[in-house]
Amino acid sequence: MAAISVVDARNTRASHSMRRGVARLLETVALLLIIAFIMFPIIWLALTSFKPLEKAYSTDVFFTPTLKNYEIIFSDTTVIENEGTDRERGSVGRKMIPNVINSVVVSSATILIAIPLATIAAYAFSRYNFFGNRALLIWILTTQFLPAIVVAIPFFALFRTVQVFGAPLLGSRLGLIIVNMSMVLPYAIWMIKGFVDSLPGEIEEAAYVDGANDFQVLFFVSLPLVRPGILVASVFAFIMSWNEFLFALIIGREMRTMQVALMTTSGVRGVMWEQMAAAGMVVMVPIFFLAMFIRKNVVDGLTMGAVK
Amino acid sequence: MRKKRWVPWVLVSPALIVVFATTVYPLLAALYYSFHKYDLRKVPQFAIQLASQPGDPLISIDWSLLSLRNYTLAFSDSRFINSLHVTFWFTIISVGLSVIIGLFIAVVVQKSGRLQSLTKVLLIFPFAVSPALKGYSWRYMLNDQYGIYDLLAVELIIKPINVVIESLNNLPLIDITPINETVVWLADRFWALFMLAMSETWGWAPLIALMFVGALGSIDSQIFEAARIDGANILQIFWRVTLPLLRPVILIVTMLKTIFSLKMFDQVVTMTGGGPVRATQTINYYIHQVGFVRNLDIGYASALAYILVVILTVFAALYVAKFLNRE
Repeated sequence: MAAISVVDARNTRASHSMRRGVARLLETVALLLIIAFIMFPIIWLALTSFKPLEKAYSTDVFFTPTLKNYEIIFSDTTVIENEGTDRERGSVGRKMIPNVINSVVVSSATILIAIPLATIAAYAFSRYNFFGNRALLIWILTTQFLPAIVVAIPFFALFRTVQVFGAPLLGSRLGLIIVNMSMVLPYAIWMIKGFVDSLPGEIEEAAYVDGANDFQVLFFVSLPLVRPGILVASVFAFIMSWNEFLFALIIGREMRTMQVALMTTSGVRGVMWEQMAAAGMVVMVPIFFLAMFIRKNVVDGLTMGAVK
Repeated sequence: MRKKRWVPWVLVSPALIVVFATTVYPLLAALYYSFHKYDLRKVPQFAIQLASQPGDPLISIDWSLLSLRNYTLAFSDSRFINSLHVTFWFTIISVGLSVIIGLFIAVVVQKSGRLQSLTKVLLIFPFAVSPALKGYSWRYMLNDQYGIYDLLAVELIIKPINVVIESLNNLPLIDITPINETVVWLADRFWALFMLAMSETWGWAPLIALMFVGALGSIDSQIFEAARIDGANILQIFWRVTLPLLRPVILIVTMLKTIFSLKMFDQVVTMTGGGPVRATQTINYYIHQVGFVRNLDIGYASALAYILVVILTVFAALYVAKFLNRE
């Protein structure tokens, strides 16, 4: 009897570890599939951006990498490819440096205006009990459900007629910055409020006891403490305005940001994919670094703290 | 307490004024335009006129310039009705796939392990890719001649299925038509809409997974441990423990994603251009066409935008109710 039960135990242990092994294997396969699903379009775009012209319209993964595509999208003259060979051809430069500048200026200016306003408002929402506090916060929350097109239509009509420094606001960076506020400011307020909420109030209390007034407490006690949170919200807001497309298309018009400039890689034969890929890398790579930096806070930002 | 009562108002009013000016002003203006005939190529005639010369009445209102024409037009406009259908199906497919795939990813990466941690880090990457670029890269990869996704789908999915179909066809009484191996994804009415939703899913499923991972992390791991000790297998744990515990978060995420899907615009422009034959014209895309590309009819575009706002308000109200409940 004893011998049989030992064999039994050994069998069950063996089948147990085999089942474990199969489960581990399935898990690894699932993880690799997920990684492929996430990274494939990104890696493919990166590869394409370094492909020479004749390889961009194939699924080849073996090629001599070239920086010609980047040269073409930034150049304002014709770029010669495969010089001296029978495949020599010229590509018209896409002049995208002004577009990069537009994107950087619009996104930076948007956060430079939005973040200070959002910070002091978020502080007040977090630290003061005033009439309408809750209602105003919920109202700000609902503005994220507003479709951008509803904002774009009246501002398009308005900006056609309003001149600033002798130029219409339509098709200007300033116009774009103004409409971006409708999208960035509500997110920034909610995000920074979350950070202020998580600060302990005792330090502020102590400052009040020591005779500091409201503004001294805000600027010299609370703001330095909430600085990391403000930085995270700034990065989040920067990514939002950098990736914004509808306003850039309707309000920005000829003052193209990089998102809209992606569309200028189209030629008579359709989109020039190798150029689109290079421009896409310019759009995407800086944001990767920023996104990694705020990785832990993206979800809170997007959901305004609804999922915790 | 030394806090002064007027201080919060000083602090919130700059932000409130800007939010008000950039959201409430356009909402009111669009409502006003929607009752007018307002063509971009002509000078618009508005019902409310302010005095321009001394002696004029301060405000004069010409009621005859107001009409419901734009709204009545919308419900007999077959293209608008089409855009409602497209948006409906796009939302169903993209929300469904994003939440299901997001849930799958979350359950897989939630355990501890090196590969799991790496995947968790990678989950943020699609968020960094702008929607406009997403549309272009998917369009490139789905090209029927040199698209890598086209190649992979045909070689790894369609051909194996066809091999099975052919061997089944050898049996008596079975006749299944093989799947077309030369499908041009974005020229097919169904596949174009489906792939548009897939590109959206690619961007959102990882983010939704991150939301679920956060929620799973806050659940006491002893619950899972207890279920395991009681002899529950992986599927039982998922259906009986994980899913019920995640239910509130799934609900909120689904509502949020629904709202974002209903507003979809960017990828339509860069991926399908609304085609083939309007099969991917979402509401937002059609409004843009009416207002800025084809008809230049701001009055009609405003009316359509308002219909979209009403649809979104229903979901937003549900969301806010849920949001307040949770707090």
